[in-house]
Amino acid sequence: MNVEVFVQVLIGGLLLGGLYALVAFGLSLIYGVVRILNFAHGTLLAVTGVAASLIFASWQLHPVLIALLLMPPVFAGGYVFYMALLHPLNRRNHFESTVGTVLVTVGALLILSDLTAKLAGATPKNIPLRFAAIEIGEIVVSTTQLGILCGIAVLTVAMHLFLKRSWFGRAIRAVTQDEVGAQLCGVQSTRLKALTCAFGSATVTIAAVLYVLSFPVDPYMGFGLTVKAFTIIILGGIGNLPGALLAGAFLGVAEGMTGLLWKPEWAPALSVILMLLILVALPQGFARKSA
Amino acid sequence: MTRTELPFRLAGVIAVVALAALPLLGNAYLVTFAFTVLIAYILAQSWDWVAGEMGYVNLGHYVFYGVGAYAFSIALVAQYPTAFALLAAVGVTAVVAVLIGFPMFRLRGDYFAFGTLALLPLAEVLAYNLTPITNGADGIVLPVQNVQTISYLLALGVCVVAFLMTVWINRIRFGYALKSVRNDEEVAEVIGVRILPVKIKVLTLSAAFAALAGAIQSWQMSYIDPATVFGLNVALVPVAMVLFGGSGLRWGPFVGVLALAGMQQWLLVNVKVLQTTIYGAIILLIGRFMPGGILRSSWVRGSRWLGALGRDHHEYIVDKRGADPRVAATLPLPRLTVDRRQPLLECRSVRMAFGGNVAVNNVNLKIMQGEIVGLIGPNGCGKTTLFNCISKVFEPTAGEIHFAGRNLRELRRDEIAQLGVGRTYQIPRPFSDLTVQENIAVPLMYHDASLTPRQALEQARDFVAYAQLTPRLTARADSLSLQEKKALEFARALACKPKLLLVDEVASGLTPAEVTRFVDHIRHVRDDYGVTVIWVEHIFSALAQVVDRVVVLEQGALIADGALHDVVKDERVLRTYLGSAAAGVV
Amino acid sequence: MLELKNVAVDHGKLRALWDVSLRVGEGERVGLLGANGAGKSTTMGAIVGLYPLAAGAVIHGGETLRAHTTAVTVARGVTLVPEGRRLFPAMTVFENLAMGAYSRGARDTLDQSLANVFALFPILKQKHKQNAGELSGGQQQMVAIGRALMSNPRLLLLDEPFIGVAPRLVEEIIEALNRIARTGVTMLLVEQNIHRALDFVERAYVLENGRTVLAGDRDALLNDPTFSNKFLGLE
Repeated sequence: MNVEVFVQVLIGGLLLGGLYALVAFGLSLIYGVVRILNFAHGTLLAVTGVAASLIFASWQLHPVLIALLLMPPVFAGGYVFYMALLHPLNRRNHFESTVGTVLVTVGALLILSDLTAKLAGATPKNIPLRFAAIEIGEIVVSTTQLGILCGIAVLTVAMHLFLKRSWFGRAIRAVTQDEVGAQLCGVQSTRLKALTCAFGSATVTIAAVLYVLSFPVDPYMGFGLTVKAFTIIILGGIGNLPGALLAGAFLGVAEGMTGLLWKPEWAPALSVILMLLILVALPQGFARKSA
Repeated sequence: MTRTELPFRLAGVIAVVALAALPLLGNAYLVTFAFTVLIAYILAQSWDWVAGEMGYVNLGHYVFYGVGAYAFSIALVAQYPTAFALLAAVGVTAVVAVLIGFPMFRLRGDYFAFGTLALLPLAEVLAYNLTPITNGADGIVLPVQNVQTISYLLALGVCVVAFLMTVWINRIRFGYALKSVRNDEEVAEVIGVRILPVKIKVLTLSAAFAALAGAIQSWQMSYIDPATVFGLNVALVPVAMVLFGGSGLRWGPFVGVLALAGMQQWLLVNVKVLQTTIYGAIILLIGRFMPGGILRSSWVRGSRWLGALGRDHHEYIVDKRGADPRVAATLPLPRLTVDRRQPLLECRSVRMAFGGNVAVNNVNLKIMQGEIVGLIGPNGCGKTTLFNCISKVFEPTAGEIHFAGRNLRELRRDEIAQLGVGRTYQIPRPFSDLTVQENIAVPLMYHDASLTPRQALEQARDFVAYAQLTPRLTARADSLSLQEKKALEFARALACKPKLLLVDEVASGLTPAEVTRFVDHIRHVRDDYGVTVIWVEHIFSALAQVVDRVVVLEQGALIADGALHDVVKDERVLRTYLGSAAAGVV
Repeated sequence: MLELKNVAVDHGKLRALWDVSLRVGEGERVGLLGANGAGKSTTMGAIVGLYPLAAGAVIHGGETLRAHTTAVTVARGVTLVPEGRRLFPAMTVFENLAMGAYSRGARDTLDQSLANVFALFPILKQKHKQNAGELSGGQQQMVAIGRALMSNPRLLLLDEPFIGVAPRLVEEIIEALNRIARTGVTMLLVEQNIHRALDFVERAYVLENGRTVLAGDRDALLNDPTFSNKFLGLE
């Protein structure tokens, strides 16, 4: 096995991992504030990815434009989804609200993936945008990959600044840590939660466009992606941006290496096995929402 | 058997017999439909043991179905007899359940739901890739036999067993362990229930039945492959069915399965496109509008016949004798021998820190057998944290606590409870959806293994009478007023048959007469039963009537220890806590 | 400035407050006393809009507030320093204080308000880059009070601000509260140590089982034989 292939796989793995981390980040943001694990989260990426590739196929728009086009409806959709379907469940007792949110988000998952498959077909799609490749020695790095890397970096930095410096971002962190304390500062928590859902969903849209530039998407891949995002959250911690990046990179590279050194069919199982191992190894486990 | 139950039991028997006779009609389509409903029921009901009874939403239930199906099919293809193959299915799945259970039960709430759901794609990948065992994507084709009728009857048999199992679980102690975990795991442990084995057992039981469903269905279909068995869209079907009917109710899974199976069948026949979308929409709407289920909705509860279907499990064990207004003078507690010179509890340099916040600071305390010790101090001084260290809700950062000669570091919470530590919480934590009587019966069951639940419920009446809650005997704990909950909390702590009773502020808000009555309880419990008491309280007049000495905490440290009338004159105590207004009066 | 008329509040199905009436005039210092569980924290929460009213009214500056939220009360200049502080442990002291100025009007005066808080509690300026969770109890209490001041309130509610605070820091905080009061801010204080409470406030109300049962100025209360009875349960 030569070094070039190894490096190629490594870069691919890092890229994929970075994208996983972006997805995880949206999920973590929403969870920290809303305390709901959104099962449909990964499916959102799959669906917007399919939409992005269709738009490109029809109108050849620049990926940035496609992202800008897709963000507003997804943003609005996230807001309405929270207010109409998730928020009312808060009034119920603990068991019913847990089960209710599971059913609502899984129902959404089924609806989204099925509708997309029926409207756009189930075959994998991507945006086959190819720029000139750069050669470093014998390693070929496509500008597409560089573009994605830039995109991940820019988005990460933007998120970080947003959370750290903006009023809305600070309010999100505050509500995550002590909702009542934030309310006492004048934060309207219901609206904030809905906006966070909207915002987290919009982030996924950007990640989807980046994803689809290099990797194929199909309507049914969503849940597998959500599992990976969840594993990254467990590894990196809720709301921990650098942690999520590291965990994502680790996962992406591990998947790539599994494919290279062993068998690619096992890669999807890796994240779940990893999660189980972590759960066995950690002495206290995770007692978040207590039963 | 009450009058309303008889028609139900009769109807049940008739229905089973009718179903068993169905194949005689010769309509294969009908039998197949009925068969899918039966399998759905087995899956739904077995799921609800973990979810409705214990409160854990296991979304990976289909993993057990799939493992059972594969184990059965592999055994059958290897030419083992069918009975053996069925046993293999159950056995292998049970082992898988235990292996999954240990890591998974580290998660709680929606994390548990998510973790278990993630097992499905894992199982699917394993099924695709472990080709030597599972034959990968090609699946396993079973030897063709005409087993339609026998598999149907077998499924019917398993259904009946599953139903009876539900009724049985709710009659034995195990059922109460499940319910206490559902309500409040920490409190369940503190009153003496060892919860991890309970969780693993119920998961294994649930898995065994799911495995049978998988085995029997694959027997009938003569074919399995990874997608049909582990696909995501089928995984939630039994869950939606149970929730639609009403999780945790005796008839909930049955009603839900009947309603949704019918709906699903109608969809399959009449709607060709977008089936999954419609199914997803149904699941979404159920989750949004009726996560409690049909049987809990107000219009069902109002109707006489349907309402009977919607009864909670504890309504089936209603105490027929009703409220017996006698006031118990004695309690069925053992009379402990007390040696006043022996220490019962020793805290040695106990320290409890949460990050930078030191809540208990180097506390040294010795409580002798048979003492009643008052524990006072301003709010936030660490009294409740100290109690939490003794009952091991927290593990002390440093120092040791010895109780009855044992070092608490070596013991689990439930072992400490069994050893004889009972406590109340400052804000009462009863088991909300259990009745007053059941709340007290649970610790009784777990401190005397020879008691059946029925006997424990009977014995609980004495404690309920002692707490003067007899009019509320069969009321749900969450419908009690704050004072009633405090009385229940105290009675439940006594039902733990403690050697050491930790009482955390029960007297505030009581009238002077009620306070005196409570003081009498404490004195009585020590004098007649030899129980040692540590009592956190702000009402000094109450403490003055009964305590042997008083210990004062401030900012986590012990600042005074002695007779009440000496302590209240102590400079430090005056300054930090009592205020000069109190000094002159005591 | 603030009046509660026959306020009732439910927590779920159970009534926590039955009939609470009190009055706080502009610039006054008023105490709210009572045993644990009497409803003092619930009353504070009802005033700022954390809990909806089941009956009665909260009247602030002449206006009747019925279904108000915390956002409304903060904008009106009423803030609460809650029991247990409720800080954001993984955010810095600065960020915690900044959150206090979240409401629209307060954002413009952020720098000035911050300077005022640092003048009151100099140690916070020293530690402004540290995460709030790492501070001691007394310092955390200072952050909590500072956070409530960032929106320039005219009425400051304090719920048991001395729990878990070392005696030396208690002195410092009382001194700061005195300085705040001298700027004309009205205060309503919940406190369990009667000595400390009556030292600070001019008059007080006593709650019992969700009702106001006693009221009066400092001397009247101290001389009232039923007062110590209700508060300490002493005969």
